Amino acid sequence: MGAHLPHKAGKENRFLSAVDLVVNWSRQYSLWPMFFGLSCCFIEEAAVLTARYDLARFGAEVMRGSPRQADLLIISGTVFKKVAPVVLKLYEQMPEPKWVMSMGSCSNSGGMYDVYSVVQGVDQILPVDVYIPGCPPRPEAILHGLMLLQKKIMQERPSRRIFHLQGGTQGTVTPIRVDGVTKNRDARGPGFNGVPLRGTSVTPPFFWESRSAGMWTPPPRRIELSAAEQTLAQSLAARFGEAVKPAASSSDMPTFTVAGDRLKEVLGYLKYEAEPRFRRLDDLTAIDESTRKERENYPDYTLVYQLLSYENASRVRLKVAVPGPEPEAVSITDIWPAANWYEREVFDMFGLRFKGHPDLRRLIMPHDWEGHPLRKSYPDRATAMAPYTHEDARKIQPLDAGIYLRRPQGDEKLILNVGPHHISTHGLMRFMVALEGERITDIDMDIGYHHRGVEKIGERQSWHQFIPYTDRVDYLSGVSNNLPYLLAVETLADIKVPDRAKFIRVLLCELFRLNNHLISFATFAHDCGAMTPTFYTFREREKIMDIVELITGGRLHPSWFRIGGVAMDLPEGWKEPIDDFIKTFLARLKEYEAIITKNPIFEARTREVGYLSRDDALEWGVTGPVLRASGVEWDLRKKMPYSGYEAFDFDVPSFEDGDCYARYLVRVEEMRQSLRIIEQAAAQMPPGRYVTDEYRYSLPAKRDTLHDIESLIHHFINCTRGPKIPRGEAYQATEIVRGEQGYYVVSDGGNMAYRLRIRAPDFANVQAIPLMARGELLADLIAIIGSVDFILPDTDR
Amino acid sequence: MEFSPVTANLSPWEPGVFSLAVYAALVAGLLCLILFLTVWLGDKKDTPEKLSPYECGIIPTGLSRLHVPVPFYLVATFFLIFDVEAAFIFAWAIAFRPLGWAGWLRISFFIIVLLVSLLYLWEKGALEWAPTYRIRPAKKTVS
Repeated sequence: MGAHLPHKAGKENRFLSAVDLVVNWSRQYSLWPMFFGLSCCFIEEAAVLTARYDLARFGAEVMRGSPRQADLLIISGTVFKKVAPVVLKLYEQMPEPKWVMSMGSCSNSGGMYDVYSVVQGVDQILPVDVYIPGCPPRPEAILHGLMLLQKKIMQERPSRRIFHLQGGTQGTVTPIRVDGVTKNRDARGPGFNGVPLRGTSVTPPFFWESRSAGMWTPPPRRIELSAAEQTLAQSLAARFGEAVKPAASSSDMPTFTVAGDRLKEVLGYLKYEAEPRFRRLDDLTAIDESTRKERENYPDYTLVYQLLSYENASRVRLKVAVPGPEPEAVSITDIWPAANWYEREVFDMFGLRFKGHPDLRRLIMPHDWEGHPLRKSYPDRATAMAPYTHEDARKIQPLDAGIYLRRPQGDEKLILNVGPHHISTHGLMRFMVALEGERITDIDMDIGYHHRGVEKIGERQSWHQFIPYTDRVDYLSGVSNNLPYLLAVETLADIKVPDRAKFIRVLLCELFRLNNHLISFATFAHDCGAMTPTFYTFREREKIMDIVELITGGRLHPSWFRIGGVAMDLPEGWKEPIDDFIKTFLARLKEYEAIITKNPIFEARTREVGYLSRDDALEWGVTGPVLRASGVEWDLRKKMPYSGYEAFDFDVPSFEDGDCYARYLVRVEEMRQSLRIIEQAAAQMPPGRYVTDEYRYSLPAKRDTLHDIESLIHHFINCTRGPKIPRGEAYQATEIVRGEQGYYVVSDGGNMAYRLRIRAPDFANVQAIPLMARGELLADLIAIIGSVDFILPDTDR
Repeated sequence: MEFSPVTANLSPWEPGVFSLAVYAALVAGLLCLILFLTVWLGDKKDTPEKLSPYECGIIPTGLSRLHVPVPFYLVATFFLIFDVEAAFIFAWAIAFRPLGWAGWLRISFFIIVLLVSLLYLWEKGALEWAPTYRIRPAKKTVS
């Protein structure tokens, strides 16, 4: 790159100009980015480091773990209000001169997350040099951003600063943006003050005359109870009489309304005595019923308990009415210790208190947050709240770790924070450990640094519009996230999905499983000291991304599934790349295993480390590879098949050890099984439609809209305000890469969900980490984190 | 090969020591220069945030002056003891030929005493890092 200095030749001292040239040239080719990722964007940032994009060509490949050694801060991802003080602190702890790149729409402006917990642009708290657009930006875009920064550096005048003379510039000098003065948070641009955002008039609780109300739909799906479920209903009726009322109809599982004062008895009965026994607390959440259309039929709040039985793979839902305005219920932490976090979450989000909870405080929002976001009266948009400023980020610091780990007076254990910014926490998560020497004597976690308010967003986006948000819930699983949401909606509205669409969905979900497990393989090995696998596995991952891109046009977040099917048919020539991939992948996997599986260092770091017993795993609702590594052969794809998984021939690997090594083995074996599924799906891909022809709900094919008026009308309605889904509720869970991700959708007969709840696998998995980590060495915590392989947007949602 | 003591080259009475002195002076000068340049050329903005310790972006809890647990002290002590003894063994290895079999026997006795004391420490559990906090159930190993 040529050196084009902007000054007029002759005016500036020649010596200083020469020094400028040398210093700038050196700086532009030796940038040291900080190892700092906020969310999805960081995955693309990591891809830039690896072979295909090869950041090393630009002299910036050495990522530093500490701000003291870095001079480039790439804000890759969503800046949350809870983590903003940390971002600011890290920035200020970097040495001079320093530069900042804002990567991705979220960091640039809040992007699609105009929601209470997200800062609408990092430039409100930090100065920014280069903005990279995209959601997430492709790796090429990052390279382009870096080249722009290099150009900018070349135009700086550092020599005067270096020699302590007047003037000169270096590093970031752009001022921080102030809302209403130098920037406008309104995506429409300035001048729209007082004009409500498009669509806000139909968003609860202030909707009037929504046209969806006038539309007719068939009734929601209605299931017949199986023999076992009828027996259960009878035994409950015999034992509790009036206190347990079965729901009139249900779309997915037996549902009962329980009187609040008998709840604990009923739950105890279901857990210990019922036939079958419901051992897992699958989910616990609440609904604020205050803006229902038929308000008189509902209580103020409804608590929803969902239990799962391993014995015959069935679920049951219990609902408890809680009166407002200061709702209170009983805690069930003595029956299920795992209820601890669920109840804290409900308290945090709804302000619903639990009597008898050992430690009822906020879980996700910052400790000093005002209000309870999932109440209908709470504003959902950040742009409806006061702007988050530099002063806020300076003032509102995360709570001191000493408050989490209560110590007796005089106890002098070392208390250490691991995270939110740490290479090995795999995202924004804060572990607080009390150490005796290197031994972890106590551990607590602070989550919510990655809370994107997805459940709140679900209440304002139409049923179709919400699909892109699901992709970002577990950003390594891409379209696999679409599936449970769509299955829940399809269950509720009783939509039949064509076979071809089912196969395409399975094909893509398994490709994303491979994608995740490859990254997990690499990062876990990296956490245990092996750097090499990253560079190998990302090679295969790029091949998967190529296939995904060929089929869907997207990489990380294709958002490609639709209600009733997928967005479009498979493109021409889709099969060859998949066949090629299948041919090479097994050999490659063998190669990767040769580096790690029998590696003595890796074994020493992971064998008999982070032990989780079978009982604990069942009790705490742990799912996914972590559960299967504790000796439970439980996989929803086999136990409760969905989307046509029953048609595929594959095994469910499980291991007895329950340690980090077993979790690693499960994932490696799952890659082989996924490959088998992909092979079968590609070979047996059925012909037919790729999306249902029930145009009442799905997006009609363009060709049909040109031929008949019905399709045209549905196309218009479904593309604009979205389809109406009949009043009711449904829960569907799928086995995504980390475990059981379930969507509980509640419809009030509108064009958007009344309540949307995500049962996140990592919420349960992360809650169980203290069981694995207590008593281990500090270094083992890192191995445990890598082996659990959680992801923060899924934990915090 | 004729045995020649290594120390011959380092005799203080030969002019070789002059070049050593020059070398030392150069090293010291260079160090001073580098330290001065980094202090003078570097751009410094000392804010309270910047001067605060880095702990993953969080304000640290408590002081760093803690009671260090005993195992750290033990490890340090053992290291010192065995390290100093290594110094004797190196010295003997250098003078291996002049000392002959007598030297070999003496150092062997020395090493055996060391080994016995190491085994004693091992047996006493002094090499255990800390008491085990939890007893794990016996498990099958994965094939």
